[in-house]
Amino acid sequence: MSTTPALELQGLTKRYGNFTALHSMDLAIRPGEIFALLGPNGAGKTTMIGSVCGLVKKTSGTIRVFGKDLDQDSVGPRYEIGLVPQEINFDPFFSVAESLRIQLGYYGRPRDEARIDEVLTALNLQAKKDAMTRALSGGMKRRLLIAKALVHKPRLVFLDEPTAGVDVELRRDLWTYVRRLASEGTTIVLTTHYLEEAEELADRVGIINEGKLLMVEDKATLLRRFGERRVVVTFDHPQAALSEVGRRFAASLSADGRTLTYVEREGCAPSGELLRALYAEGQPIADVETRRSRMEDVLIEILRGRPQAA
Amino acid sequence: MNVLGMQTLFAKEVRRFMRVPGQTVLSPLISTTLYFIVFGYSISGRVQTVDGTPYLHFIVPGLVFLGIANNAFLNSSSSLFITKIQGTVVDLLVSPLGPGELMAGFIGGAMVRGLVVGGLTWAVAALFTGFSLEHAWVAAYFLLLSSYVFSVLGMLAAVWAEKFEQINFFPTFVMLPLTFLGGVFYSVRTLPSPWKEVSLFNPMVYMVEGLRYGMLGQSSFSPAVGGAILAGVAVVATVVTWMVLKSGYKMKA
Repeated sequence: MSTTPALELQGLTKRYGNFTALHSMDLAIRPGEIFALLGPNGAGKTTMIGSVCGLVKKTSGTIRVFGKDLDQDSVGPRYEIGLVPQEINFDPFFSVAESLRIQLGYYGRPRDEARIDEVLTALNLQAKKDAMTRALSGGMKRRLLIAKALVHKPRLVFLDEPTAGVDVELRRDLWTYVRRLASEGTTIVLTTHYLEEAEELADRVGIINEGKLLMVEDKATLLRRFGERRVVVTFDHPQAALSEVGRRFAASLSADGRTLTYVEREGCAPSGELLRALYAEGQPIADVETRRSRMEDVLIEILRGRPQAA
Repeated sequence: MNVLGMQTLFAKEVRRFMRVPGQTVLSPLISTTLYFIVFGYSISGRVQTVDGTPYLHFIVPGLVFLGIANNAFLNSSSSLFITKIQGTVVDLLVSPLGPGELMAGFIGGAMVRGLVVGGLTWAVAALFTGFSLEHAWVAAYFLLLSSYVFSVLGMLAAVWAEKFEQINFFPTFVMLPLTFLGGVFYSVRTLPSPWKEVSLFNPMVYMVEGLRYGMLGQSSFSPAVGGAILAGVAVVATVVTWMVLKSGYKMKA
């Protein structure tokens, strides 16, 4: 696979008057990866995507799509790009199939009914192929947006909140389809408020806040580094005080002495070791409950400015 | 150049107005035809001829011009403006369509609508006056170039406008007075001073007179003057529109 990044940003800056929406962003997205860009509302996610997709005029910096500088050629690289915008839009004069045929044409591709059927089937819209777009429900309009972004087989796809307002079943279907696209070599840049979505799909995660890219990390590394496993051990009988094992593992005992809580972070002893030590110590364990951090917890931790654990 | 993209946008623009023919073709055709009947028959009783041409014949080129100019302008302005309002402009901005392709698509579609309405107006008028085409190439030049110029101006208005009120500004406050005072229903030469001199600053006068020369073989001014003005406006409007689109003015954040 090519080593040229699918998308490369160098010093990308966007200012609106005195407000800086993007602060000199540097980022390289590998071909074929699913990259999730996470951050609160107004963090700069859509501005970044808009700058690449030609919707926002950048103030400064360089954008390269598959090695091509958009300052040198602002049109050519767009053949490779597909965008699912955040806001639903549709042209009420046309049917679903006509909208997709128009989209294909915009990208210089001839009419391709097989491709249209493939995308509509994948997005569960086949039955609405000849329906006028104005007659679609909100969720269906969202699916049509996705179909329009994908129909011309772009190599770099931006999904800006693609599943907002979409039912759970379709969301799952879309995830499957996104994974399939990525397995076929399509690079996906995803922004979402459903952090479960990022956790489910992303290879790497970028976290952005107030226009600054705070961190880019492999999802697994991020979860390991910033995530934690919380182990709650319930005893048969209340404990009078924290045992020697409890102190060694820096665990905490509840006020009633019935539960011991251990927070396992990167660099700490694994929770299995704690359990073995407690058994060896002869503690009367009644129940063990564990909970691993999810992307949501990690994001909150990072946005609150928790220093890197490792 | 994205030729297929340009053709797609053009075909989409034509299909868009053909989806609502009552609004885009029939309605303006009826309005223009009513002008012809009301003005033509009411005034022709008192004004028998203008420069030797029967009054009913005299007003036909102006009404054809009116149909072309209004509808070409309205098509490109409303189509692009609505695209901005409903958000589908994103499809155009993200796709590999440069300023040239966008202009060709929108202007081409608007020219077709202008020429369809103008052509139908001419056909309806011909039922009353008979068909007259004295200088076919001159007429073709003015028909095509005036539809082009007003399509481009419509596109510029759509880029600039942010509200519906603004998009109606040009047709109501600029185009309507200029066309009605542009010698559609009378010969500028017959106006008293200072209106005659004032009218000479109205570019529509020369466009109407140029088309009148092509269709009827008579004109108050040399068609070369109108042709040159039209070509000049076409060049300036094209360059300005291309630069505006290239810069992303009011199209990109």
